[in-house]
Amino acid sequence: MSATHDFHYRLPTRTGGWRPGAHKGLAMGSGEDFVAHASLFARPDPRRIDLRASLRDPRGDWLVRLARQRTSVPVAAVVDTSASMGFGAPHRKIALVADFVEALARSTQSIGDPLELIVFDERIHEALGSPPSRHAGLGALLAERLRAAPCTAPGHGALLEAVSRLAGREALVFLVSDFHGYGPELSEALDALSRAQVVPIVVWSRQETTPPEGSGLAQLRDLERGRVAELWLRPRLRARWQAAVDARRLALSQILESRGLRPFFMPEPFDGDALTRYFLEGA
Amino acid sequence: MIAGVDFLHPGLLALLPLALLPWLARRAGALPYAHIGWLPPDPLGRAAGAALRLLASLLIATLIIALASPGRPESVELRTGRGAEIQLLIDRSRSMDERMLPSDWRSLSPHEIRHQTLSRGPIKSQAARELLSSFVAQRPDDRFAVSFFSASTLHVVPFTQHDEVVQAGIAAGGIHRGLSETDVGRALISAIGRFDNRPYSGSRIILLVSDGGARLDDDTRTAIRAGLERQRIALYWIYLKGFNRPDLDTPGEASEAIPEVALHRFFERLPTPYHAYQAQSPEDLAEAVADVGRQQNHPLDFEERIPRQDFGRAFVTAGLGLAGLLLVLGRWKLEAWS
Repeated sequence: MSATHDFHYRLPTRTGGWRPGAHKGLAMGSGEDFVAHASLFARPDPRRIDLRASLRDPRGDWLVRLARQRTSVPVAAVVDTSASMGFGAPHRKIALVADFVEALARSTQSIGDPLELIVFDERIHEALGSPPSRHAGLGALLAERLRAAPCTAPGHGALLEAVSRLAGREALVFLVSDFHGYGPELSEALDALSRAQVVPIVVWSRQETTPPEGSGLAQLRDLERGRVAELWLRPRLRARWQAAVDARRLALSQILESRGLRPFFMPEPFDGDALTRYFLEGA
Repeated sequence: MIAGVDFLHPGLLALLPLALLPWLARRAGALPYAHIGWLPPDPLGRAAGAALRLLASLLIATLIIALASPGRPESVELRTGRGAEIQLLIDRSRSMDERMLPSDWRSLSPHEIRHQTLSRGPIKSQAARELLSSFVAQRPDDRFAVSFFSASTLHVVPFTQHDEVVQAGIAAGGIHRGLSETDVGRALISAIGRFDNRPYSGSRIILLVSDGGARLDDDTRTAIRAGLERQRIALYWIYLKGFNRPDLDTPGEASEAIPEVALHRFFERLPTPYHAYQAQSPEDLAEAVADVGRQQNHPLDFEERIPRQDFGRAFVTAGLGLAGLLLVLGRWKLEAWS
């Protein structure tokens, strides 16, 4: 994990928090963001008296500049550790996620936002997660725990429960999952997060998206449901495989984009610059 | 034939349900994959997988059956054989070089017969050899041995089914002239001795071709009688009757003095089968040989114990083949994510 994997995030909209921070906020306070003038009586802050504006004021009041304060935004990562996240070679997908969480922790640390980590599959794993915290060095610890996560649960049943902890809060929420088998509960979860800025991070490993080389019989078993698929690898099937992956990618993007969300497809290995670009494009 | 199959270890057949394992443990050999749901369905792949599992099932079943050692139980079967063991015992004495009556002797006047015989009758031994060699050629199922005798016995060919050897042995009798003595007794004892230490696998015949008899002493007679009886040998005597030689069936006490008649009477009193043919001319000889062929052509019924036949080896071989096939097919199976 090199420093180049660090990324910078920013929010496209103003956030309502009162705590000073690095993001554009809605709260008034000390800042560069001019909003309006107010009378010194209304805002008794003589440091901010605007002489020119006061002279221009027809009523002769002393006017004070009002500005918006930059604010801190809580950041949360909601990580799916169902069995499918344990897939991938040579590194499991959860290891990619751990890289991401480590980078995220460094980013929040440098900006000063608190980071919360919620890990779920069929239930919420408190031992793997972390309450909102600004601890330095938290990222390495969380990443290490995630890398060791067993990833055996056959589903993502606790998604809504995990999301409900963040429901109604203004926050930057990274929803990290492979979104396999996500049905209407995804919409429900996104509903609950309607006040938050959600960044869906789609973790697909290369083995999932590109069919294996060579021809022959591939017997595949589903990590979560235990079903078995048998495919005779051949050029036509490879094309159909690719088409199915593309279709899934499109469908997932459509669901998310209908809510104004752009999914970030995690490259392998995790690339912080790509995520930085994602935020720059979005802002 | 199914009914005739038994198992040495039938209890092992209880393991046969193990053959279902490939169908139950479908997940065992499969590669893990994150989400099957988005893969395209592939009937071809499903068929290939089913075929592989079927092969594996067959392999397990074959091995279990092989372990149970199937086989056909030991049985006794009634077999019919035709092969006989025929010892040709041919007289090689000087008298065999004489001529037989010509074919048309019946039309000749009694005065001419002797003359005609001496001038144009076929030579006895030659006619006998020709007929015997065609006799041998007609009976490919039989085993023949060839011996010539005069003073003592010359065993030319041991029992064999190779026709060429027998024919060559018969032809060898035509070399040079015969000897002076004719010791039928010694020849018979010696011929009987050739059946010693041979398994009884078909009817046994000594075909004695001779033109003269001999007086046998009591010891010889006893030995011949005991030998024929012990070895269960039928005796056929083709008597090449020369011109003016006595008839075998000459009645009367006095004719006992004639060696041929004495020999004939001794043979007739044997407990074993015996038949004499008198041949004066080549036609008679041919008839006699053909008759022997007919007589000894009757099928021989005997019970044969067939040992238990084990089919386990075939099943193991089949299992080995299946395992090899599976190994080869396994090369086409995706074993790991690259």
